[in-house]
Amino acid sequence: MTTSKKIVLLGHFGVGKSSLIRRFVENTFSENYKVTIGVHIFKKVVEVSNSDSISLIIWDLEGQDDIKKTRSSYLLGTNGFIYVFDLSRPITFENLNSELEFLKENFPNIPVKVVGNKMDLVTKLYLKDYSEVFGHLVDFFTSAKTGSRVDNLFSKLAKELL
Amino acid sequence: MLKAYKEKYYKNNFQYILVDSLGKIIDTDDSIIPSESKYSIQEVHPFFESISDLFTISNQHYDFSCVNLDFEKKSIIADIVIYTHDNNENIIIIENLTEHYNRYQLTAQTRNESVINSQILELKNEYLLEKEQFKNNFIANFSHQLRNPITASAIFSKFLSNTNLNSEQKNYLDIILSANNDLKYRINDILDLAKIESGQLILNETTFNLKELLNKIATGYQIFATKQNLDFETGFDPKLPSYLVGDRYRLKQIIGNLINNAINFTSKGQVSLHVSLNYIRAEKASLHIEVADTGIGIDKSEHDSIFERFTKVNPNSQNNRNIGLGLAIVKYLLAQMNGNISIESQSNLGSKFVCNLSLKTAKESHKLLEVSHEIVYPDFDKKKSILLVEDSELIQLSILKILSSNGNFFLNIISNGEDVIPTLKNQEADIILISNTIQRYSAEELARSIKELSTAHKKIPILALSTEVFKEDLKRYKRSGIKDVISKPFDDKSLLDKLYKYVK
Repeated sequence: MTTSKKIVLLGHFGVGKSSLIRRFVENTFSENYKVTIGVHIFKKVVEVSNSDSISLIIWDLEGQDDIKKTRSSYLLGTNGFIYVFDLSRPITFENLNSELEFLKENFPNIPVKVVGNKMDLVTKLYLKDYSEVFGHLVDFFTSAKTGSRVDNLFSKLAKELL
Repeated sequence: MLKAYKEKYYKNNFQYILVDSLGKIIDTDDSIIPSESKYSIQEVHPFFESISDLFTISNQHYDFSCVNLDFEKKSIIADIVIYTHDNNENIIIIENLTEHYNRYQLTAQTRNESVINSQILELKNEYLLEKEQFKNNFIANFSHQLRNPITASAIFSKFLSNTNLNSEQKNYLDIILSANNDLKYRINDILDLAKIESGQLILNETTFNLKELLNKIATGYQIFATKQNLDFETGFDPKLPSYLVGDRYRLKQIIGNLINNAINFTSKGQVSLHVSLNYIRAEKASLHIEVADTGIGIDKSEHDSIFERFTKVNPNSQNNRNIGLGLAIVKYLLAQMNGNISIESQSNLGSKFVCNLSLKTAKESHKLLEVSHEIVYPDFDKKKSILLVEDSELIQLSILKILSSNGNFFLNIISNGEDVIPTLKNQEADIILISNTIQRYSAEELARSIKELSTAHKKIPILALSTEVFKEDLKRYKRSGIKDVISKPFDDKSLLDKLYKYVK
């Protein structure tokens, strides 16, 4: 049986939301940064078990430095959120706590996966230095460039949505 | 006619789709997005698939602006409005705004790129500053560790040279002394750069005799150049003022570094120093200094980089002894003195370094205040007693040796900070020397405790034996009542000069 679920990617601009989706949907990556305006919608069917698959409809939103600035209609009917930040730019995770708090308050019971992207740009020591800031909040450290943990992220969320 | 235009305009920019509550298409056309051949709106694009639940709620209105819709043959960016009704007829209005949003995308692209670039630049800058700070701390700490052994090595080599040695032993000792001297200069160079880069280098202005300074430099380098089989020629403008106000030590360092550099890169021929007066204006004398050589020269492409740290031209040269800090220091010092430096040189045709700098001319009354650099050591009626607080055995032995050779002092040595106060309660001291490397105690802490002991103790001059020679360190010492600092590495003369200066 295939069910359809809407996933929304949120986060500052330039953190790699579109790149993560491209890596997941098309298995490609480009070094060129193209700013997303408004919303792009992608679809990929993921097999969750032998009998079940799930059609993920992924909304790639224009980056915002404050989640409250997001057009509210984009968030209607969301089944799961992925909040992405750029590990190499602290400004993109400075307000992580309040951003997640906003989602919790306005979308209770909707799963949220927190992703530190651009893992390829930082060292383990760097992650350790910043672990107090985001360590306990992050579900996945990914790299859209190398593909590291990208599939795991979407599969994990898909399973939770079923 | 108007109707025709309106129709054309609306047809190209708007599309109306009627669907039921399950999303089945009741009426549509293909004016913007291909939908006529589809059974349900969900099949048209995943966007509609993900919002199809909205059709089940009657009498609502939803706005989705700037939705990027990709189809096989075209991509559009549209605003989509949905009205739901209770008669099972829902209207979807699509307004094609691709051109408008594409222009907006270009603006957003430029804006975001510039924001991200400036953030990255800021991070890089922070990182560089941290790295610079780490490097300066590392250099400072590392050079401190070297100061005690260099001091001891220099002092004992010198004492050894006064013993009965055969000529072979004298030669070996000369090499040790010269190597030690080199090492001392290198460490001072590194520390100077660290000081300059952290903004801690202060120019110490005094009135000094320019001609005397130039003659001293000339004599010193004459000997050095002869040893290297080079001619050393000097020319000093008779119009040069005798007395100037400025940092004598740093001016000597500028000229010395340039001559050292010239000698290092010249294997045969001549090195010369010429100093002349450009002009005297507004109580300032503008000096013109030229140091020329007949050495390997410097290719034009390298003229700018030779003043950078650790740059050295022709790294394969056999004669290359310089680690390349000398010129960087010269450039920094000249900048501090509002001076400038230029170079005229070509590969294999020698080099000429030209500097111009202005120093204040000395007023008549100030000339009298010039401090003589030679301190005469008088004999005392009674030997003076020195209390030395120092945990390095090398330094203890070095000072013991210097003072016993001089014969005017008793030396009492303490290795632990805890013993200072009990010792001073029972013994007199004319001068107290405190090292800054005593474990668990800082020199300032000990100085403060001594000053608090009694009025008599307050009067005893305290000098710090210090590896910390930064501006902030010196201020800190003064605040705690330390009179002066003998900086490590020191030699017999610098120690005795300070002791005679402060002993009562």
